Amino acid sequence: MKKNLALWGAYALILLILPSVFSSVLGISILNQMTIWIIFALSYNMMLGQGGMLSFGHAVYFGLGGFMSVHALNLIADEILVFSVTLIPLVGGAFGLLAALFIGSFSTRKAGTVFAMISLGIGELIVALSLIFVDFFGGEAGVSGDRTYGPPFFGVEFLQDSEVYYLGAFWLFVATLLMYLFTQTPAGRMANAVRDNPERAEFIGYSTRRVRFITFCAAGLFAGVAGGLFAINYEFITEENLNALTSGRVLLMAYIGGLGFFIGPIIGAVILTLMNSLLSNYSEMWMLYLGIMFLLTVMFLPKGFAGFIMMHRAAWANGRLGSLALPYFLIAVPASVFLLAFVGMVELSHADELLHYLGMSLAADSPVSWLVLLIMAGGGAIGVRLARARLSDAWELANAAAAGPQSQEAQR
Amino acid sequence: MSLLALDSVCKSFGSTQIIRDVSLNIEAGEKHAIIGPNGAGKSTLFHLISGRYPLSSGGIQFKGEAIHNLPPYEIARRGLARSFQVTNIFHRMSVFENIRCALLWSEGYRYAFWKLLGRQAELNRKTHEMLEQIGLADKADLPSGELAYAQQRALELGIAVASGAELIMLDEPVAGMSNSEAENAVALIRRITEGKTLIMVEHDMNIVFDIADRISVLVYGEIIATDKPESIRSNARVQEAYLGEVPSDA
Repeated sequence: MKKNLALWGAYALILLILPSVFSSVLGISILNQMTIWIIFALSYNMMLGQGGMLSFGHAVYFGLGGFMSVHALNLIADEILVFSVTLIPLVGGAFGLLAALFIGSFSTRKAGTVFAMISLGIGELIVALSLIFVDFFGGEAGVSGDRTYGPPFFGVEFLQDSEVYYLGAFWLFVATLLMYLFTQTPAGRMANAVRDNPERAEFIGYSTRRVRFITFCAAGLFAGVAGGLFAINYEFITEENLNALTSGRVLLMAYIGGLGFFIGPIIGAVILTLMNSLLSNYSEMWMLYLGIMFLLTVMFLPKGFAGFIMMHRAAWANGRLGSLALPYFLIAVPASVFLLAFVGMVELSHADELLHYLGMSLAADSPVSWLVLLIMAGGGAIGVRLARARLSDAWELANAAAAGPQSQEAQR
Repeated sequence: MSLLALDSVCKSFGSTQIIRDVSLNIEAGEKHAIIGPNGAGKSTLFHLISGRYPLSSGGIQFKGEAIHNLPPYEIARRGLARSFQVTNIFHRMSVFENIRCALLWSEGYRYAFWKLLGRQAELNRKTHEMLEQIGLADKADLPSGELAYAQQRALELGIAVASGAELIMLDEPVAGMSNSEAENAVALIRRITEGKTLIMVEHDMNIVFDIADRISVLVYGEIIATDKPESIRSNARVQEAYLGEVPSDA
């Protein structure tokens, strides 16, 4: 209990300190995006990671919450509604929940493929609707609002992005806490049970449909909260924010971060937001890199980054984590060389002019440029190969002491 | 009035009749075993009673109420719990969580999302008690998928009985166990079904004759005899069906 409190305290502290560390315009902008995406990714994980429902249309609840929030901003600006914009995420949440109540009432009957297909269909349906109901969705141009109207919140009018950050961080903290607490309730636990074994869940008295429905609604609510924050941050929302692209993006975040762990989607949202904001400045091919990263995660880290971190618990418990540092370093160096060479080749393949890369001037039509990159890649690959044996030995050794008593226990 | 009454229950899959006109009364407190050769329909009968399959015709009454049109969770809530022939646990959750989930409904938690499980002292105490009973207290925090086979069977049993159901149905609870494991399991079954009604499908005749007050013999979807163990042993039709498989000295 005390440990938990300390963790939450640390979380709040980090959220408070971050804007002082990354105080540039870009830094604040990225932090603001993170608050939105972390909530959204956590809500997606409620569905998939905890409830076992694979949704291809989670952006629907995010987008609908966002659209309603922008409209609410406009109603505030027109003085039809009078309340503080700080409460806009609640508007988003309410409409995310409302949409989930309606859609979940029929889509949660079954999990698995049926559920996934329905979610895909609903997603497409809402996108189609968004082009028909132009008044509400604003057509392809979307709708925009202004967050600076409405009664000031203790003198804060949210003119600055940094002011928006603290609002976002507050809702992020509240949403994270509530989503975590949900996992500790009977409904949250039964969501896990239904995910693991829906048949047995029915025989201990629970309607799997009802259990899924509750999880579904909770996930819709928090997706809507994220949508509300999106509306405040961008003051602008389009059909793109409720289509399959956005649904796919949140799936990637949750998966890359690690579905089985509460903290996983947070890691995934941070990584993808960084890639989206930073990498896209450097390369048009960043989506390709994202795709490759997803592929590699699925193949080699099926439990995501959080799972990778958790893999080290045994070594940590043995006090042997340090012994892994050198082998990791030795494999990281050639791996980076390989990666850099690979990126160089990708960039070179579509470069129109001289590519300035790692202090070299490379040309797409020069065999020498390609040869250099190939040699780098080859050298990196060989280096990884050589370092791998050492890493796996060190890994065995670091985990050995933990494996010992466990296997004895199993024999007893 | 019987606790459980099957009235001319029939079940067909396509044109194949699996259960033919089965009528059976189980009295409260009775320990009833269902035996029969492979493919006789024993597990199907379990699935019909517990609501996993719908009946083709006939009716089933539990505590005087018709249950044959109810979904499994409604039947479970009325106090009929069952285990499965193939281990059917929540494999990614801890042993403790498995048992706690099995207790939730009967303890009145329903679908609550405003109560923290960590604070439910009474619920957690009962969970520990159950873990003690099934001998898995020291494995409480282990993911249930990592348990050894016999331990998973014990957990399977624990999930079935945790809710405190009046009628417990066990489908081959000791199948695949070694002799010593089976002995432990039988002792466990005796202990946790004390004062309750039990219906059990089991192939091991020693265990059947050891535990059961009455035995029904199911052959090709029909009950050919229901009687006390000693009468079953001497029943000509049963001996014919089993071709002398019933051990005479059990």
